[in-house]
Amino acid sequence: MAEPVLQVQGITRAFGALVASDNVSLDLREGEIHALIGPNGAGKSTLIALISGALAPDAGQIRFNGRDVTALDTVARARLGLGRSFQISAVVPEFTVLQNVVLAAQGAAGHSYRLFRPALKDRSATSSARAQIARVGLEARAAIPAADLAHGERRRLELAMALALKPKAFLLDEPMAGLGADGTAQMTTLLETLKAEAPILLVEHDMDAVFRLADRISVLDYGRIIATGSVEEIRQDPEVRRAYLGADA
Amino acid sequence: MSRGIAINTAVLALCLAVPVYAHFAGEPFLLTLATRAVILALAAVGLNIALGHGGLISLGHAAFFGIGGYAMGILASHAQTFTPIADWPLLIEGTKSMPVIWLVAMVTSGLAALVIGALSLRTSGVYFIMITLAFGQMLYYFAISWPAYGGEDGLSIYVRNGFPGLNTLVPMQFFALTATVLAAAMALAHVLGRSAFGLALNAARQAPARVEAVGVRPFRLRLTAFVISGMITGLAGALFADLNRFVSPTMFSWQLSGEIMVIVILGGVGRLFGPLAGAALLVTLEHVLGGVSDYWQVYLGALLLGVVLFARGGIIGTLAGRDVAHG
Repeated sequence: MAEPVLQVQGITRAFGALVASDNVSLDLREGEIHALIGPNGAGKSTLIALISGALAPDAGQIRFNGRDVTALDTVARARLGLGRSFQISAVVPEFTVLQNVVLAAQGAAGHSYRLFRPALKDRSATSSARAQIARVGLEARAAIPAADLAHGERRRLELAMALALKPKAFLLDEPMAGLGADGTAQMTTLLETLKAEAPILLVEHDMDAVFRLADRISVLDYGRIIATGSVEEIRQDPEVRRAYLGADA
Repeated sequence: MSRGIAINTAVLALCLAVPVYAHFAGEPFLLTLATRAVILALAAVGLNIALGHGGLISLGHAAFFGIGGYAMGILASHAQTFTPIADWPLLIEGTKSMPVIWLVAMVTSGLAALVIGALSLRTSGVYFIMITLAFGQMLYYFAISWPAYGGEDGLSIYVRNGFPGLNTLVPMQFFALTATVLAAAMALAHVLGRSAFGLALNAARQAPARVEAVGVRPFRLRLTAFVISGMITGLAGALFADLNRFVSPTMFSWQLSGEIMVIVILGGVGRLFGPLAGAALLVTLEHVLGGVSDYWQVYLGALLLGVVLFARGGIIGTLAGRDVAHG
């Protein structure tokens, strides 16, 4: 079998006495959605920060696309093709939907130092941006400033920006957070089509969505992975039920 | 956007009406004031690239203004005394040619911006303000204690420098020259603002984490903007020195940095015509209120307070309304 796209090996990070990530290993394979679940404070955000490069680990190694990226920062990892979305929407508020996605497209194309040509007249960037906007269903809102979007639309804009990077793996931090039932259903359908393009490491609290989408699930508790397996295996795992899911899952 | 264009046209027409009136009414002093406004506007166009697009609150732009001024002063003073600036390892002579002076002013202030920016852009917020201020003050005290070029007394240049094909001693011709330079700088600022670089720079001001996530370093974007910004303000310094035919350490003073920033804020942060509107207003107030009271800055302070509290977009922003692209 081919090497996984993303490989986290024995990664550890402590904040003083608190070990937020304790010898965590997981991998993300081509074509799958790997969900990361766990109670609040289990270390999901720390793990995401370690994988995206925002935090440096105390020990362990991260390999991405066959390369050791442990020493690289966020920018360098993004350039290698790690596309991420944020738990709290990090779109550019004064920019329109189109400008936001063009920013991502030109970033991926390495055009951000073109000083003279108007950004919105660069065909290659805008046409790819418009295509991603259409995929998340925001065509009608392309000229609206991001600050004026509804919450659910902003989540979709985040996704369009991640798509415009044409990443080799997605790192999605609670894309369903704050979405209503309709929004969650839409997002679920969207993510299902996405995994054909690049595998997704999905941090999510919405268990229905996780159980529907995930090919594999890893459960994090007190900084440690207590189980990894298919949806069925995780549902049946007694330790997971005790730590997180509760008896009714 | 058409409302914005109308406002910009009105500002431009108003700024052009003054020199035309001054010319025909035979009031050369008004023309000098207009030239002063144009040059300060140019300095503010420079700051506006860093402040408006990059969100970099530099309280040290007088450093570049002063470097531009001293570039002119040093080159012209050597030319008027016929002494070389250096004779080893290369013979460097002074010059009275504006294009050469401008080039030297822009290169030196750009290099200074590269060094100051590379050090101060590692910080942000109030620390960035303090470090830029500190660099400005360093140069201020250096200029005071540098006897070779007048020290505290400054340097007088007896004859205004020349520009090929123009008689710069004619006030109208010098005004037209500075206005052309301002127009070119504004055109550059406009093009930069709409470019891929401008988009990324504006994004880095609002959401730096997002810019990193698309694989671009905010630090490098900001440093590039800071250097371009410093070069334009440095060019304004050279012109300012030529207007007064005098250079002194006050060009490096933090009051001057503050004045440039006041112009940007009065006119409208990040607005293309903001520096022009702000400089025109400031110079008018200075002239009109200065005649009424020695303490005219009190009124300026009240006005600034009003703008910051009630009209965040400055003159242009209030009149033209919100603009999405920060154009």
